[in-house]
Amino acid sequence: MAVDRLQVEQFIYHEARLMDENRYDEWLALWDDDALYWVPSNRDDIDPKREVSLIYDDRVRLGTRILRLKSGLAHAQEPKSRMRRLVSNFEIENGADGEVTANSNFLLAELRRGRQDIFAGRTIHRLRQVDGGFKMAYKKVLLVNNDEYIDNLTFLI
Amino acid sequence: MKTQAKFDYDYLVQTDKIHSSLYSEPGVFSDEMDRIFHRGWVYVGHVGEVPNSGDFRLKKIGLQPVIMVRDQSGKVNLLLNRCRHRGSTVCQSERGNTRAFRCSYHGWTYRLNGDLSGVPYPEGYGDSLRKDEMGLTHVPRVGIYRGFVFGSMSPAGITLEEHLGRAARELDLFSGLADAEDIEVTSGVHKYDFKANWKMAVENSMDGYHPNIVHASFVDALVEKIKNKPSPEHQVAFNPSSFAADGAGITRDLGGGHVMLDYGFRMYDPLNRDPMPTVRAITAAGEEKLAELSRQCGAERAADMIREGGTHTFIFPNLILIGLQMRVVQPVSPTYTEVCLYPTLLKWLTPEVNAIRLRSHEAFFGSASFGGPDDSEIFERVQAGIVADLDPWMIISRGMKREHIDDEGLTISDMTDELTQRAIWKQWKKMMTQEAGAGTTRKRASRTAVERA
Repeated sequence: MAVDRLQVEQFIYHEARLMDENRYDEWLALWDDDALYWVPSNRDDIDPKREVSLIYDDRVRLGTRILRLKSGLAHAQEPKSRMRRLVSNFEIENGADGEVTANSNFLLAELRRGRQDIFAGRTIHRLRQVDGGFKMAYKKVLLVNNDEYIDNLTFLI
Repeated sequence: MKTQAKFDYDYLVQTDKIHSSLYSEPGVFSDEMDRIFHRGWVYVGHVGEVPNSGDFRLKKIGLQPVIMVRDQSGKVNLLLNRCRHRGSTVCQSERGNTRAFRCSYHGWTYRLNGDLSGVPYPEGYGDSLRKDEMGLTHVPRVGIYRGFVFGSMSPAGITLEEHLGRAARELDLFSGLADAEDIEVTSGVHKYDFKANWKMAVENSMDGYHPNIVHASFVDALVEKIKNKPSPEHQVAFNPSSFAADGAGITRDLGGGHVMLDYGFRMYDPLNRDPMPTVRAITAAGEEKLAELSRQCGAERAADMIREGGTHTFIFPNLILIGLQMRVVQPVSPTYTEVCLYPTLLKWLTPEVNAIRLRSHEAFFGSASFGGPDDSEIFERVQAGIVADLDPWMIISRGMKREHIDDEGLTISDMTDELTQRAIWKQWKKMMTQEAGAGTTRKRASRTAVERA
């Protein structure tokens, strides 16, 4: 069954807004149980079993990430980042079993403690159709600056 | 002859307190570069980063750009990244493999051992160009211990072995007794920076007082996980009281400014769904190493050391071994610092165990992790706080009255004590106030070489 392109875009815009607004629980609820949230380090294409990532979260570690962010004790997000991001350049492919792969670019302005940083990259979402909506099964974020010194990437990217 | 000091370091560094200007004053930073980083032994990299001939990495010794490169003979060279002609860097990529270094300005070309191999239109120099004297400048002294490559910008001074002293034993344990060539340091780099003085990262890495406070969110998360997953495997995963004042861990002064936190228990946890894989080797030699480690440390501790790394040690002035990572602190300015983390794999471990080493590391370390970014945040808060200097002193007296000597003759104290900070500052002051003879010699020697050319 072909996936409605507009529906995919709307889902990813919605995810972006939840991240922008630090709406942690709602964002976590978008994930399916076999989730993989992956931000490679140094290069876009690495072997995660042999090379280090910035983020390589399964569902359990994702839960811990959110628990920590909500604790009020995660100093790197106290105060929290203020963010708005643009998502664009969609390329959407239908996969097997009703899954859809969505490639998109983002440009993020992140402000914290008086300093505004720009992050940019390409995101690969693998979405699964569940109950007339989507769940995220996989998300890989290819940061433009994944081989640079990054002081703080503790917000949701 | 005593160094002509603009700063009275005897006053600024006292046994129980330090003056906060040491974290911000440009003149102090300049002295640190001259007297510590451009004179004594400094960690540069590991041979495992350049496993093949032609492999190179860009490094720094203090502020000076250095190429670490393995030449055709297999030797690892440290070469200053500066063309001997007009000074341009000759290597631009942070890592890679090459046959030679060719300056992009006028085409002077250097071999992997630094020798000058070619100059365009050489006839213009007549007989005045002595190619054999115009190779890339070697770091005057290079020392390698168990694959850890150190350099000294001074042609004279104590040997690397003298510099490391007892701390060499911790370099052995870091790699689970693995031989240098068994350590893989090609698993990527975590790079982060912060707007604060470099010594904050050094001291904090050896501060057993802060984890239960700064990292409370991490501790809580682990406790939550243990609660939700009450399997025996997870029950032993973490003991949040380990960093408490009455915990089992200790601080230890290894001498020479090298210090460690010896917690002797599992610190990190991959925080993943799956339990820890059983530690196994894929070669007979690897099995032998594991057996030897078990004999020395006990089977359970040995398995933890392999999965998560074996020590928590600072090698003065810039190398920190935590878990399975090598951490290099790179001062850039008095109030700006860059840090590189190199997680390591062992060639003879199963892929599952090597993968869990990476996952263990990522949980607490790196820009998006659950630990390190909170530390960096604190460094910046300290840097902001010490601008208020009506009372400029920072206190490092904790535990002074309960230090004692262990069976080995080393000074130890409780985990939360500032023994480690005192030992680091003692060495810092020693180097900042010692005779400048070697450094002067270096400058004179390099001037002579230029005049001769």
